Amino acid sequence: MYKLAGEERFLLWAVCSIQLQVLCDKSGEKLLLLAEGLLKKHIASHSMHEPEALMVYISLLEQQSKYNDALQVLSGNLGSLLVIEVDKLRIQGRLLARARDYSAAVDVYKKILELSPDDWECFLQYLGCLFEDDSVWKLFDDTDQIHPIKNIECKFSHLTEEMFDSRISSASELVQKLQRDTENSNLRGPHLAAIEIEKRKFLYGKKNESELLKSLLQYFLKFGHLACYASDVEAFLQVLPPHKKAEFVGMLVKNADSVSESATVVLGQTTTILKVQELTGNIFELPLGEIEASTVKLAKLYCQNLPLSKDLDPQESMFGEELLSLISNMLVQLFWRTRDFCYLAEAIMVLEFGLSIRGHVWQYKILLLHIYSYIGALPLAFQRYKALDVKNILTETVSHHILRQMLESPMWVDLSNLLQDYLKFMDDHLKESADLTFLAYRHRNYSKVIEFVLFKQRLQQSNQYEAVRVEASLLQLKQSADSIEEEERVLENLKSGVQLVELSNEMGSRTLRFNEDMETRPWWTPCPEKNYLLGSFEDFSYCPKENVNKDREENVRRAIQRKSLVPRMIYLSIQCSATALKESLETNGSGGDIKTCVELKSLLEEYTKTLGSSLSDAVDMITEISQGARPSESLGSDLVDWLNFAVFWNAWSLSSQEHWHVLNLLFEKLILDRIKSMGSSDMSSCYSDVQVLVQIITEPLAWHGLVIQACTRSSLPSGKKKKKAQHSDHLPSSPMSQAIKDSIHSLCSTVQEVSNWLLNQINNPEDDQVEKFLSTLKRNEDAGGPGQVLGVLESFITSSEESEVGSRIFEALKTWSKEDSARKTVMAQQSVLREFLQICESKKKLLEKLKQQMSHV
Amino acid sequence: MVCIRRATVDDLLAMQACNLMCLPENYQMKYYLYHILSWPQLLYVAEDYNGRIVGYVLAKMEEESNECHGHITSLAVLRTHRKLGLATKLMTAAQAAMEQVYGAEYVSLHVRRSNRAAFNLYTETLGYQINDVEAKYYADGEDAYDMRKNLKGKQIHQHHSAGHAHHHHGGGCCSADAKPVETTTQAEATSSK
Repeated sequence: MYKLAGEERFLLWAVCSIQLQVLCDKSGEKLLLLAEGLLKKHIASHSMHEPEALMVYISLLEQQSKYNDALQVLSGNLGSLLVIEVDKLRIQGRLLARARDYSAAVDVYKKILELSPDDWECFLQYLGCLFEDDSVWKLFDDTDQIHPIKNIECKFSHLTEEMFDSRISSASELVQKLQRDTENSNLRGPHLAAIEIEKRKFLYGKKNESELLKSLLQYFLKFGHLACYASDVEAFLQVLPPHKKAEFVGMLVKNADSVSESATVVLGQTTTILKVQELTGNIFELPLGEIEASTVKLAKLYCQNLPLSKDLDPQESMFGEELLSLISNMLVQLFWRTRDFCYLAEAIMVLEFGLSIRGHVWQYKILLLHIYSYIGALPLAFQRYKALDVKNILTETVSHHILRQMLESPMWVDLSNLLQDYLKFMDDHLKESADLTFLAYRHRNYSKVIEFVLFKQRLQQSNQYEAVRVEASLLQLKQSADSIEEEERVLENLKSGVQLVELSNEMGSRTLRFNEDMETRPWWTPCPEKNYLLGSFEDFSYCPKENVNKDREENVRRAIQRKSLVPRMIYLSIQCSATALKESLETNGSGGDIKTCVELKSLLEEYTKTLGSSLSDAVDMITEISQGARPSESLGSDLVDWLNFAVFWNAWSLSSQEHWHVLNLLFEKLILDRIKSMGSSDMSSCYSDVQVLVQIITEPLAWHGLVIQACTRSSLPSGKKKKKAQHSDHLPSSPMSQAIKDSIHSLCSTVQEVSNWLLNQINNPEDDQVEKFLSTLKRNEDAGGPGQVLGVLESFITSSEESEVGSRIFEALKTWSKEDSARKTVMAQQSVLREFLQICESKKKLLEKLKQQMSHV
Repeated sequence: MVCIRRATVDDLLAMQACNLMCLPENYQMKYYLYHILSWPQLLYVAEDYNGRIVGYVLAKMEEESNECHGHITSLAVLRTHRKLGLATKLMTAAQAAMEQVYGAEYVSLHVRRSNRAAFNLYTETLGYQINDVEAKYYADGEDAYDMRKNLKGKQIHQHHSAGHAHHHHGGGCCSADAKPVETTTQAEATSSK
């Protein structure tokens, strides 16, 4: 087309396509040379007219590491296509740095800083060039996380002390100049730069801790009242040893008291100090009494300052809004350390109270979501999640808050919607991306074409996308497992699980991207797989949120690998079972069945590999656990997956009565252990056990139910499978039919135990439960302990006046009721239990039916 | 303040996360993409120290009655980063790009009648004037002020060879089919407190 029309845009299409090919395949770099040649020729004959074309040309040269050529282009005539001066300087600085012409790059960055003294990225690049250290580029090249890593590596080893000193002092001079130039503008950048310089000295080994602390304190005195202080200094705090962090907190407390000028400053600084304590982990080292006192103090501060927000628009942030999140975080910690449920109930009350005053605060919703999830009030958790209005790309970045809990719950309708909404967004986006790519071409925004295609790839490679696709299939299988005919239809739609097996095979070599925004998660669950509240405080070691995704990658990959084998294994198990009973009487099986068995065995091997074990070790493991020779705890958090394995292993070797026996014992043991440990305690303290039970009943037990259904169906006298009546005459003598009967019997009584436990909980009158919930919040007037924060809030509600807090807040205070919150929580817990009971009842019905069918044979 | 820079496509993830923390938005993802792929020069983000996106402005070009003008579609700043002048910086950057890159004659925007903080920012700090009131503009029935500011800026690409028509208007500024749903504008009340 370029040849025909001679238009620049057609040429640039071609060039962009080449660039993309090289970027995505990481090969064919010679093509870049071709593209460069095409552009050069075009420039020679037609020059170049569009800024975007110039950007493509420069990036093409950059891609080939021809930095000096790119610099020449930029400083030549074509450079004038870029109209915004700072943009041009930024490109120039980057090219010089990459060409390792550091001294020239330093000059360019200085120029940018003089034009825009608050440009932090530029300041870091300036330092990078000054110290001839290219690690800063890694920071900006790393696009895999929504929020870039905070700690930049610094390399100094190539510098002598003298070189370091002279360079750091020239950086100091620049920063001082920037500070003088911006004295009246309240910019944070130049002041933060001063801390960065102290940090670099510290990392170099200058033993300047006290200067570093002093600079952080200076910054606090200037900006400590701002909500952004804590996140501004986070990266600096991370380099300090623990005792210095504690010392710093002490300095803040001491200095904050001496500068109390206005209510908003005091409020801001107090909030900041608490946030710094959270960031440094210092808060976890305080004695219980101190934390408790702190929560009470903050609650009072919140109430005192409510009048400040009297005239604010409803969409504006309130003064002291963050205090309630901080209080709640401390209450959750108190619960963790004391296991006194009251603290958790109080945290719920504090956040619900906050939401009734300011309905939009996302932090409150997220914290509530996680507390409700922890105590099994899942419908409320889901409601809070929906109130976040998660849609579009947020489904990719935010749904991790609720997804895992829903997957492990009996709330299948909501779960199905959640999965479908997510898949619809991703699928639609991927479908639309061709049009969007064309849109960018049409507007001749070539650099955006490349960015967009890479972005599309980023979404396509999302770990969550892969996982949800597998989970959506599994959910359908779970939902239909009580009827083998329905299950077979689902399996047929899933191509008998073949595609998912392929996915599993490819998983090892696939790139997985992690687009989830984990920073919004509460401290006690930094990623979906972790929840500190499930362990004890003593085992806790402070771990920053930073590398969460790195740790997750291997686990997530294995989990997807493992789960995507399940549909095929279900299919094969049904196939094996369909003929097993018959074959237990007739000696020679057909060749097809051998093939099925061989495939199932190889999948079992794959499956155990993802559990970190060989097939024979895995068999030993489950056998020993069933016999009580090994504790069931050795299965760890993969307990459900191990049970799945046991089910499919039995399906592969149905003729062995011993295997049936091992499986029955396993189910019995793992389920009854849980019921025993839950005892009569209520849902709030044992929901994690309920979650495990839900999974056992809806996954391995359901799959085993299918195996039995398949066996039984084949034995029916007038079944669809063309079984002749005479077969059934022989069946009673088969040891296998006895094994099936025993298994049905065993499952029946085990599921009955679960139902009994659930009924026991459900039959507890709602009013009694609400009363119990509320009674935990009553406190002894004189003694400390839980309930004090709620006390502060309640007495404020009774004493507040409309003239003081304004009509909107006054109304909210009067309508809030702790009884309502308690009742809603109890009802939500009950509804989860009822959903689960329904599933158990349906399983029981199925088993009864099977029992009857077997009694005829 | 902080680093005000052009948005990249990857920034969309963090930009939408801003919405979670500010006010819910009704924009489809493709509407964002439609902006960034059509007028990439008009999307700016405020990147805080640590590389965190703490605010953004989304804008586009429109051609009506032969006057090519810009339109601010959305402006958001995280609650934790308000009252720092970020909204002003973002708006100034987008307006400058409209003027310098696209030669816009004026810039328009919609704001909720009740959003006093944003209204003050537009009138007092940025010099916008009410052009009209659009009744029931928002989905919830609230009226919007249609506000404008004249740019009277430079000619488009003065340094370009004469007669070389600017490409961006070739297919019409807003020829794609994505539809605006609502302009959510939030800003720090720089002057009211």
